[in-house]
This record gives sequence, C-alpha cells and structure tokens, in this order.
Amino acid sequence: MKSRSLKLREAHKVGGSAASFCSILWDHKAEHFVTSSSSDPSISVHDGLSPSTLPPTILRHHQDGVTALALSHDSSFLASGSIDHCVKLYKFPSGEFQTNITRFTLPIRVLAFNGSGSLLAAAGDDEGIKLINTFDGSIVRVLKGHKGPVTGLDFHPNGELLASLDSTGTVLCWELQNGIVSYTLKGVGPDTGFNTSIVNILRWSPDGRTLAVPGLRNDVVMYDRFTGEKLFALRGDHLESICYLTWAPNGKYIATSGLDKQVLLWDVEKKQDIDRQKFEERICCMAWKPNGNALSVIDVKGKYGIWESLVPSSMISPTVGIPDIQPKKRNEILDFDEEIEEELYGASESLNDALVDSDDGESYHTSRKRLRKKTFIDDDGDAYEELNDGSSLPSASEYRKKTLRAHKEKHGAGSGAFKSFAATIKYKMQSPFQSGATPMEPGKRTFLCYNMLGCITTIEHEGNSRIETDFHDTGRSPRVSSMIDIYGFTMASINESGCVFANPCKGEKNMSVLMYRPFRSWASNSEWTMRFEGEEVKVVATGSDWVAAVTSLNLLRIFSEGGLQKHIISLDGPVVTAIGCKDQLAVVTHVSDCLPSNEQVMEFRLFNIPRMTQELKGRVALTPGSRLTWLGFSEEGSLSSYDSEGVLRVFTSQYGGSWIPVFSTSKEKKQEENYWVVGLNTTSLYCIACKHPEIFPQVTPKPILTILDLALPLASSDLGAASLENELMLKQLRLYETQRIVDDMALAGVDTTALEDEAFDLEVSQDKCILRLISSCCSSDSFVRASELMKLLTLEKSMRAAITLVTKLKLPFLAEKFSSILEERLLKEANEAITNPSQNPSGEVVTRVQSMVQNPPASIQTSANTEAFLKSSATKLSSTTLEKKAKVSEGLKLGKEQTKKDETEDATKKEIKKLNLIKNPVNNVNKEGKGLRKEVNQEEVRRSSNPFLKSTV
Amino acid sequence: MAGQTDPHISLFSPQEVEFMAEDELVKIVPNMNMDPLNFISGDFGRFVPQIPTEVPLWLAVALKRRGKCTFRPPEWMTVDNLTQILEAERESQSTFQALPFSYVEIARLLFDHARDDIPDMYMVRSLVEDIRDVRLHKLETNLGSFQGTSAVKISNVSAMEVNLVRPFVRRALEAFYKHDKPEADVDRDTRSSRQQREANNEPRRPLRQR
Repeated sequence: MKSRSLKLREAHKVGGSAASFCSILWDHKAEHFVTSSSSDPSISVHDGLSPSTLPPTILRHHQDGVTALALSHDSSFLASGSIDHCVKLYKFPSGEFQTNITRFTLPIRVLAFNGSGSLLAAAGDDEGIKLINTFDGSIVRVLKGHKGPVTGLDFHPNGELLASLDSTGTVLCWELQNGIVSYTLKGVGPDTGFNTSIVNILRWSPDGRTLAVPGLRNDVVMYDRFTGEKLFALRGDHLESICYLTWAPNGKYIATSGLDKQVLLWDVEKKQDIDRQKFEERICCMAWKPNGNALSVIDVKGKYGIWESLVPSSMISPTVGIPDIQPKKRNEILDFDEEIEEELYGASESLNDALVDSDDGESYHTSRKRLRKKTFIDDDGDAYEELNDGSSLPSASEYRKKTLRAHKEKHGAGSGAFKSFAATIKYKMQSPFQSGATPMEPGKRTFLCYNMLGCITTIEHEGNSRIETDFHDTGRSPRVSSMIDIYGFTMASINESGCVFANPCKGEKNMSVLMYRPFRSWASNSEWTMRFEGEEVKVVATGSDWVAAVTSLNLLRIFSEGGLQKHIISLDGPVVTAIGCKDQLAVVTHVSDCLPSNEQVMEFRLFNIPRMTQELKGRVALTPGSRLTWLGFSEEGSLSSYDSEGVLRVFTSQYGGSWIPVFSTSKEKKQEENYWVVGLNTTSLYCIACKHPEIFPQVTPKPILTILDLALPLASSDLGAASLENELMLKQLRLYETQRIVDDMALAGVDTTALEDEAFDLEVSQDKCILRLISSCCSSDSFVRASELMKLLTLEKSMRAAITLVTKLKLPFLAEKFSSILEERLLKEANEAITNPSQNPSGEVVTRVQSMVQNPPASIQTSANTEAFLKSSATKLSSTTLEKKAKVSEGLKLGKEQTKKDETEDATKKEIKKLNLIKNPVNNVNKEGKGLRKEVNQEEVRRSSNPFLKSTV
Repeated sequence: MAGQTDPHISLFSPQEVEFMAEDELVKIVPNMNMDPLNFISGDFGRFVPQIPTEVPLWLAVALKRRGKCTFRPPEWMTVDNLTQILEAERESQSTFQALPFSYVEIARLLFDHARDDIPDMYMVRSLVEDIRDVRLHKLETNLGSFQGTSAVKISNVSAMEVNLVRPFVRRALEAFYKHDKPEADVDRDTRSSRQQREANNEPRRPLRQR
C-alpha cells in the first residue's frame, strides 16, 4: 500500500476542535468546484484549473453555516441549504443570487437536483422531504416517512425514484410518480445519532442499477434498484463505518471515506479496494472530477485537496464510458420527467392538498408547466428566462433577467432554436400583482406599496418583518409608527385614512390574513384583522371609508373602515390587480387564457362603492406581448394603466369609452432608463427612473420622482410641429373630459361654475395652441390643414385673430376662406338657437322671438325698414317668415314685448355692423349677387335669433 | 501711493462672500406641499413632495432647518468627481479646474446644514478641503511668478480665492505699473486711467460670470 500524503489547503475556517460537515462539488465541465462548511456561512466557488492562484468567489447569502450544496445536472444552478433554515438558489458559475427557494423550520441537511434540474429535493431535521419546483419555488410534494433527520438524498438517474436515508440508517425509496414508498430498508446504515458532522449518504450508481449505502459492518452495501434486495457488499480495510461515498463518473469505481480518516478506492466489479489514502482529519465529502482521473476531498476542518490520478493508469480511466451515457440519459429524463411532473401535479391538485404551496398562485398549470419544462430542458438558458417572466414568484432577479433577455432580443441575438420554440409555447396568464410594489428581496427593504401619497416598506429580519409607513408630505400627514409584522405581509395599500395589509397563506397553519390599520381614529385599538380559511387574499385596495380584498376564490370582499363585512361579490375571472381611489374601486380580472400571441385578455370594472354601482366596464388595452404593470387613477380621477412595454394609457369616455395611449417609453429619448410609474395628472407623468437593468426602485436612498410630459405616440408628421400637435391632442382630451364632467354635474344639479371657468381657460389655451399650429401650417404651405384647424377654434376672438394672422402672413385667399368659416360658424350658431329651442334654459327666448315677430305692423315695419335700407331684398323674405310666425303665436302683451324688441333690434344692428367689419377687410366677394343674397338670408335669421345670440356673444 | 485704493473697499469678508453665494441655485426635494414663491429674482416652486425643484441656497437652508426638504447634492459634489478634480489640480501647476464659482461656500453650507443628505460626507468634505488647499497654494505660487505686467488672466478662480488674493494682486499690479512707466509723464493721465481699468477688470471677471 502506498502512503502518499495529500496536501490539503484551507477553504473554510473551522474554529476550535469541533468537526463540521463540509461539502465539495465539481461542476459538469470541471471548470469550477464549490466548497462550503457547516461552520461558515459563505460558499466558495473555486476555479477548477488553478485553485491556488485565483481567489475563490465567495457567496455570502446565508446567515449560518452551509450544510448542503447541490448543482443541477448542467451546472447552471447551484442550490445551498443552511442551518439558517433557508434553501437558496444561485446562478452558476456566476454565483448570482436567484431566490430563496424554500424555508424549513429546522436546519437543512441535504439537497439534490433531479436530472433535468426541474426538481430540487431538500431535507433536514424537519419532518419530510420537500420536492421543490425550481421554476417558481412551489412545493410539488412533501414526502413524509422518516423518523429522524434526513441526511442522504439521491434522485435515480432516470428520475422516477428518489432514495433517502436518515440518521438512524433507514433507507426509503420513493416513487416520484405517486409519492409512495416503494421499499423501506430499515436500519441498514449506521446510526449517526445527532452528530451533525457525520452525514449518512447514499448514492445511485451512474447506470442506475444499484444503490450504494454504507453498511453497519464498515462496508458499502449495494441494493437492487427496484426490489431493494441486497446485491453485494464492498468490505475491506475500513476500520470504522463509512461516512461518505461517491461513484466514479463511469460507475466502475467507488470512493469511500470512513470515520477512521481514510479514503478507499474500490473497483466495483472486482469488489476490491485498489488504493487508499490516509488523512489527518476525517474526510466528510468527496467529488470525482467529471472529466479526469482525480478526486477532490474535503475534511471536517474545512481543508480541501485533490487526489490526482488515483486510479492506476493500468486500469480503465474513471472517465471512460460516460460520454455515451450522458446525452442519452438526458433525453430519457426529458420524456420521463414530463409525465412524472404532470402526474405529480395532477395528483396534488386532485387531492387539493395543503402540501401544495399556495405561493404558486395558479390552479391551471398542468399543461403549461409541462411545456415550460420542455423548453427548459432543451434550453440554452434563454428559454427559461423568457418563460419565467410571468411566474408567480416575483423575484427581482428574474425580472432583471427578463429585461436583459428583452434587451438581447432587441439586438436580434435570439437563437433560432429558441424562436421556433417560442412559436409553440403556450403563454402564461399574468399573476396577480399590487400596483406600486417591488418584489421581495431577502435582507433588503422593499416597497409593499408606493403611491403619490406615501409608501409602505418592509424588511424581513429574523423571521419577522418590520413594516414602516411613510408619507411624502411629512407636514400634514399623520406620523405612523413602525410595526412588527408576524404574518409576513406581502400586499399593502395606503391612503389618507389608513393602510391595509394581507399575506398569502403558507401551508395549513399560516392562513391568509387581512389587516387594516386606520391612521386617525377616535377609538383606541381600531385595527382589525380578518382570516380566510381555504381562501387566499390576492389583491387589496383601499378607498375612503372602505377596504377591498380580492381572493383566490374570485371573491371581491368589501369591508367598511371599521371592519364590517359589507359586500361580497363574485368576480367572473381570476384577479390581476385592484386599486382604490376615494369612492371608486377598479378591479382587473382575466377573461380567458393568454392568447397564443402572448397577449393577455383582461377586463376591468370600475365600481362606486358607496353608491353600489358599476360605473364602467371594459377590456384592458395592452401592447402586444406585454403585461399590465401598474393600474391607478390620475389626479383628476381617470383610470390609467401602464404596461411592461412602457405605454401609459388613460381611459376616456371618447368613442364610447376607450383607452388613449398618452405616453410611451419608446418615444422617450433616454433608453437606458426604466420608468416605474407612480402617478399622473393631465399633463405629466410621475415616475421613478431606474437605471437600465433595474426595473424596480430601491428603498434607500429614498427615490425621487421624475416628471415626464405626456406624449402621445404620434406619427412623425411632415409639419414638424409634433410637440404642438401633441399639446393640442392632450388639450382636446382634457377639454372633452372637463366638459363631460360639467355636463354630468349639470345633470345632477351641482354648481359647475368653477369647472366651467376651467373649461373656458382650457378653450383659450387650446385656441392659442391651434393658432400656433396654423402659423406653422402656413409656413409649410399646408393650407387645407390650416383651414381645418381654423374650424377647430372655439372662440370667436381667436378666429378673428387667425384671420389677422393669415392677413399678416400675406395669404389673402386663406384670410378669405377663414372669414367664410367664421361666417358659417356664426350662422350655424344662430341656426342652432332656432332649431333647438329646447336647449335654452326655458321657453322664454322662443316666446320672445315669436312675440317680437307678431307685433303690430308699425314697429315691425320700422325694424324691417331699417334693415331694408341696408339690404334691399330683406323685407320680402322677412315678411314671409313673419307671417308664419305670426300664425303660431298670438295674444301676447304688447308693452313688455316692445322694450324687449327694441333691445334685440339694437343687438341686431350691432351684429350687422360686426359682420360688415369682418367682411370689409376681405375682398369684394360679398359684393357679388350671390354673396348679397346669402348675406340677406343671414341677416334675416340673425334678426329673429337675436336674443340668444346676444347671450352667447 | 496715488493709485492705491482702500483695501477695505475691495475686500469682502468671508461672511459677505458666503452671503452672496446664497443666491446660487441648488436642488432640493421638498416633503411638503406649497404653492410657488414669487421673489424678485424669480419664481420658485411649486413644491410637491418627492419632486425635486431648484431654489436659492438660502431658501433651501431655511427649509432644511425646518425639516421641510432634503438636499440633492450638486453633480460636482461626488467622491468620484472630486477625486478627479483633485488629481487634475495637482497635476497641472498653471491651470485651475472648472468648479462652481462659489464651490467653497456651497460646500460649506451643505456640510453645515445637510450632513445627512450628502453620501460619503466625510470623504467629500476632506476632498473639498484638499482641493481648496491645493488651489490656494497654486494661486499663491502663480502670483509669485508674474512680473512686469499690469494684467493677469487666470480662469476658473472661485469667489473665495479671488477675494483672498484681490488686495495683494491689485497693489502688486499697480506697483508694477508704476515702476514700469517712470517716464510716462506726458500722457500719464490717460494711460493710467486705462491701465487701471484693465487691471481692475481682469481679476474681477469671474465675479461677473455668474
């Protein structure tokens, strides 16, 4: 026997004389290896080629010693389990932290990935082995059966079996299809008791035929895959029981380490030990280099070393015979796994098992997950990222990946293979979200809610969360003390009077809770909580004097501020989001599954809570392929939405209720920034600008709001006055909304003077904008457009201004055209006054006109005469109308009418003068016969409509 | 000494320089709602929580004292930028780096009133002090080197620095002038008036630039 000594290098510091379990792992290409120790919270990723020269990458995410490591088959993910009860997932080899994929109540002891990397098994001192879906962190199944801490886990290479070993030495072999135990081998391994530095381990052979378990007689016992029958044992020079074993990549050799501090290498076929190595300390973990004749070892003091060329050159290299197994095996897993997964999901759903983690928000995932799985397996990392975007576990890193991916795609770097996949993928429905929330990140403070009023932030600390509520305006708003949150709230909403919180349910014991905290209350202790059994709060919202929660049963529950359950409404689809503002509550729900073109089909409803009415209902407009990321109300109270493609839309009543895109990120110059919308008003958007890869703002430093002007996605016009066109459209939109509100209020009989003033101001500014547009139209010779703009002017004064403008620009024909437009306008107004008398506040005007008309000849004639002097043919026409009118109305008193009539006649004269004034600067068109007649007509009409005109002019 | 003016007229006290610097605009993030303020120098506001706005330094300080706002440190006041400036200042002996005309005063006021709003405050502070010392030293050595001239042009000198060297520079230049032109008796009146204006102009130019 050779007695070479292997030099070990320290990777982790193990204090004192205590022994701690350390782990070592190679990635599949042997480029890196990973070490950890149960007395050190950090994980080291060493460079496999020159571990001594390059310093290792240190991952410090755990708060306590790391007891277990696992790499997915293709080494794209690293999982770590720790005494701090967390299982964390990282990208490999970058070491970028992905997510806290699960949590236990006791330390983790062992982790294992299945062949495809879709499942992660984790176990430890807790009862039960958790099978975790690595895509979304949902718990697929909890396998319960062990009586002690589970220390060994291994997936069968074909993925249908999972073997587990506990510290009492009992092996259970689980069938993953149905989660039942296929066989139990009781007490076959050594009982390690509660010594955590010794881990009972078991390993499937790479060909999957045998299961190697340390035996009771310092040996390794091989068991049959299906029956659990003992096949043979490797017994030799180990003086104490075996604490670790590992198969060579080709399965021809096995390395074992014993409590007697030696490592033995066995030839499995000959059942004989080939070589051995003695160490100063017990070797607690070993890993074969996947592509070489080398074994890396780590001892309980955290020192590692690599035992090079341990298999003698006379024998078959441990790497011979694997390459042809590997790819085939992967494909097998692919086919197999899907079925397993599907059945697993199906089974758990049908059981409606509480073990299925409700974090996974969807209940329609079977087929989808299967598809997703397919892409993951065939992936090159991209498909996974792309598909993950709608997953129900919104971790920041995922979102970041998504943006990166989107970025890549923009540069046309998507692989062909991926694209062909994308075509066949069924997209996911968007999962519920809370507007103004940022995804949870461990150890960081995140926003539960951020709006124009204030924000609610949370940070997890030692199992509890700490929630802070801050108002932006610190002067006027109440000060709210921070709160220790024992429920782990993930949703919140805030307004002036209070804030509401809710948490998802986590298993049987942790029910979903809704909590409301009023800020100002005359009674003490006016907080209240509601518990939901078998139901989970998905979205919360608040308004004035009401609180709303939408649950997984598609129920919209409305509570009063004091906690009275006021209404329960069944919604007709799974909720996406909800937002409240004063009396209004907007709820967005899914209408159907996502379209194959990756378009979400969603619907919104706008409720008025105190009136118990549904004010609006309609579909949610989204950019193709995007998701709703924000829903809210503008300062004026119109419903607005923002999607992941950066388009802000406002719902208006124009065209029978439609979404108007008022802002688009793509139009904005600064591409390197992402805008996180907070609010908007009629002219601008308030948002937090985040530097490109970030989508969400950080809590510290306190983010500041950026104001962006609203800009409609206008086509680039030949006019080159896009900003003016934009301004005009926004003004028109605003004027339209204001007028609508005025009308509504007038109908309701509310005083509208303030709003009318506002509308007038808007009209004035809109006219200013139009005048500027007219001048730019004139300078670019688009006269038709100029005349169209002229028609849009609302005030007579500005129309006159337009005429003087074009006259000054020396465009006489346009001035002519404009004045004819002005005439038409005045004529039309006059006509309207006659034909729609009902529009007038009362019938008074009509009667006035009529009475005036049917006056005794004398006065009428005088008036007719005066006009006759002006226009020769007036009398004839007027007399005919007079007769008509005279027939209609009779018997009105004379005296009063006389005075009124005089007034009106005065006004008529003024009108005529005005009209002449307008026409005079214009050339002599009106002097032609036609023009004259037309004018006469106008005069006639004008005269009779005078009273109304006077009031409008 | 005919051309010498009273030093008390041309020299401002540091407090006065600081007072003048208080008109510089700084960015603040208010945490209250307030309508725009209409001042002679212009309108400031409207103030909306969490939305940055530009106000004169004195107003910012007044608001900060009442806890109504937080400062946004000026762009130049970052550790990176200041380190670069300091290096550049040390490298070249003759030129000065572009810094705000009253950077010393602004920095001082911010350090006094907005400690919590400046990231790496102590680092920034020591950097600003270093820069000031380097620049002053450079200015003094530069002054030692000029000779036989009646005008000096140094760009990017800040208010406080100008103020410090002004009395000396003026007297020195006047002395140069006098010794250079002992024979100019005939047209002394016209030339002296012109030269004097030039001499006055040049060092004071930075004051006007703002």
